[in-house]
Amino acid sequence: MFRNLIVINILVFSLCIISCNKTEKKISNEDYVSVSGLFIAKDTLTNYSELGLKKLSDYGFFKQPLNQLIPSSKQVVPYELNSALFTDYASKKRFIYFPEGNSASYISDETVLEFPVGAIIIKNFYYKNDDLKTANSDVIIETRLLIKEEDNTWKALPYIWNEIQTEAYLYILGKDIDLVLETNSERQKKTVFKYSVPNINMCKNCHMKNKEVVPLGPTPRQLNRDYLFSDKTQNQLAYMTENKWLSNMQPLNEVSKLPDYSDASESLNNRARAYLDVNCAHCHQDGGSAKTSGLHLVYQEQDRYKLGVNKPPVAAGKGSGNLSFDIVAGQPEASILLYRMKHLEPDVVMPEIGKNLVHSEGVKLIESWIASLN
Amino acid sequence: MKKLFYLLAILIAGFVILFFVLKSEPTPTYTPERNYVIGKENNILTQFLLAKDSTVIELAEGHFTLTQSLLLDGVKHVVIRGKGTDKTVLNFEGQSKGAEGIRITNCVGITVQDLTVENAKGDNIKVMDTDGITFENVCSSWSGKVSESNGAYAFYPVLCKNVIINRCKAIGASDAGIYVGQSNNVVISNNEAFYNVAGIESENSKNVKIFGNKAYENTGGILVFDLPGLTQYGQNIEVFNNEIIENNTKNFAKKGAIVGQVPSGTGSLVLSTKDVYFHDNTFKNNKTTSIAIASYVLIYELGKRNATNKSATKDVVGSVQVINNEYVSDKNYNPYPREIKIGKNTYSNSYWFPTINNDFGKILLMKKPFQKVHVLWDGLKDSKSIYTICFTKGAETVPFLGLDVLHDFKNNTDDVSKFNCN
Repeated sequence: MFRNLIVINILVFSLCIISCNKTEKKISNEDYVSVSGLFIAKDTLTNYSELGLKKLSDYGFFKQPLNQLIPSSKQVVPYELNSALFTDYASKKRFIYFPEGNSASYISDETVLEFPVGAIIIKNFYYKNDDLKTANSDVIIETRLLIKEEDNTWKALPYIWNEIQTEAYLYILGKDIDLVLETNSERQKKTVFKYSVPNINMCKNCHMKNKEVVPLGPTPRQLNRDYLFSDKTQNQLAYMTENKWLSNMQPLNEVSKLPDYSDASESLNNRARAYLDVNCAHCHQDGGSAKTSGLHLVYQEQDRYKLGVNKPPVAAGKGSGNLSFDIVAGQPEASILLYRMKHLEPDVVMPEIGKNLVHSEGVKLIESWIASLN
Repeated sequence: MKKLFYLLAILIAGFVILFFVLKSEPTPTYTPERNYVIGKENNILTQFLLAKDSTVIELAEGHFTLTQSLLLDGVKHVVIRGKGTDKTVLNFEGQSKGAEGIRITNCVGITVQDLTVENAKGDNIKVMDTDGITFENVCSSWSGKVSESNGAYAFYPVLCKNVIINRCKAIGASDAGIYVGQSNNVVISNNEAFYNVAGIESENSKNVKIFGNKAYENTGGILVFDLPGLTQYGQNIEVFNNEIIENNTKNFAKKGAIVGQVPSGTGSLVLSTKDVYFHDNTFKNNKTTSIAIASYVLIYELGKRNATNKSATKDVVGSVQVINNEYVSDKNYNPYPREIKIGKNTYSNSYWFPTINNDFGKILLMKKPFQKVHVLWDGLKDSKSIYTICFTKGAETVPFLGLDVLHDFKNNTDDVSKFNCN
């Protein structure tokens, strides 16, 4: 009996020590910085002059200070999309640089505008001040450029920002940036993760269609929305037309609008289909990187089998999660599509790259959508 | 007392049989010798990212660890060359970005040679939309005990033209070791594939020659498949001079995978494709059957029935006659095997029992106990096809079983003479 007591005492004591140690660790946790891995002064960077300009400021898109991202001229046009790709809760600021005297032309509502040679699409990925602890301003992680070259092909270039937010540098190898996101109304726990800037070839993973690099976002149905331009709020397509950056445009009231998947006033089906379109269909469409899968998720797809309903996977490997069909109507838990949205292992996660956090709002949306199917 | 003794004897015999049946489905282990070098990643990555037309990417000697996929896109006539399969090893075990080891897309005339790629999270080497891809003396493997957490494909050219895979090794893939999908003009020769679920698999591919390979200790040795809903369908496939031996490894595929349906102990399986010719192969000790020929109709229904998720199969009636509208809606797809020609092959099997972990094995065990069947056909056919299967002259002596799955096995046949090629 006495012996037992001693044993229990020792156990309780050691448990105490273990738990005490844990609390100690928590305290040291408070010393973290929100963002680490951006360039610092002592980083030596290779010059990839044959690929593109060394610094973002070399292009002259923005006024100084660079990190305010204020266009230096009317040729740099800001825009937003109705539904945007999820990138680990990063916010995005998008611009199109139009070469003087040239305009993009309308092809169809769902086709990316035909841009003139010299056009550059600029996408800045940043985290808002509220999401971070130590910073007293937004922190820009990277800026990706898509440049339309003389031979009418597009070139993708990734620029990574420095810690002091004065410049971004062309860096082709890809980089992991350590981030800690603070809690907010939707995020109950502090989120620690590695944000991954893609290497130069990874861009092609998503931006490839029929063997060519293409832009994904700026389709008329995505651009068909209001934006607060410097002087007034105006429809983006109307603004571009008015400033002669856009030609061959249809009457605005005939242009369709991709629903905003976060807009609860839209129907569940439209929201879900818009979500799948922007987050999956860049690969999952005819001519896209995932065409071999037979799963086609563009917004206008009507064939239920191509959308994955009762479709067995082709080469999902472990990604199938021991499930038999891409989507089982009414059964989210039996659907591979949702399984892959919820998991982060490299061979399971969808989208395959650029995603290191589960998009819980997106998961909820697709979950309810699959549950609603019959 | 005597009765009790007999009962006991039978019981013991039963256990002994069960023991042998289970024992004959091994889960092998692959452990190559390695001395990993960390921190050379950026050098190797830069070589891939800066490759232009006609670049030779020379990889140094060493066992390197990498944390992300190596990508090559849109270049012509590039050679990726190591110093030998034991000397240059690219290990992707700790990868956090991308699921593939090496990924080659939209290229022309690429050669990969003299190196090893191992332990990628997804596929070791994936090649897509490329005209001219040659693998020469490349080893692609997953080490350790085979498990469903191994990556899916070791060699994975898909939507390619002019593919050569020669003198390579594929080890431990949880789907297929050497897999060629939706590709045209393919040579798979003189390779070794072992410890995979499928050793070698041609899927929806045209003009494929598979010869001089050793496929051993996989779940299935050499498979020829056609699946619905894809860009093209297979035909003109010749499988000859291969050694297909001891493919009795336990099926360790993930359940959703179609190869999860392959019975352990299958030498070759032909699924729903057209114009396949097997000759001069050596089939040895594949305990279930040497060559199986099946229709997607059957595999699909069996797959649905076996799915653990019962709710997903609620609309399935327990009969193969239920044809699923989904794959029937693919007008270009024919779910039946057609024009499958069996020439002279060498067959032997010293095992007493087929696998009992699969419907095919169970059917064989019930219909042909203690007999060895070397060519097994599910009996489903396309009435419009000239013929479904045929045996060339001199190949008629093979133990054959044609099942009658449509009529509850009432009219099974083992008469080869009904299926002579003319």
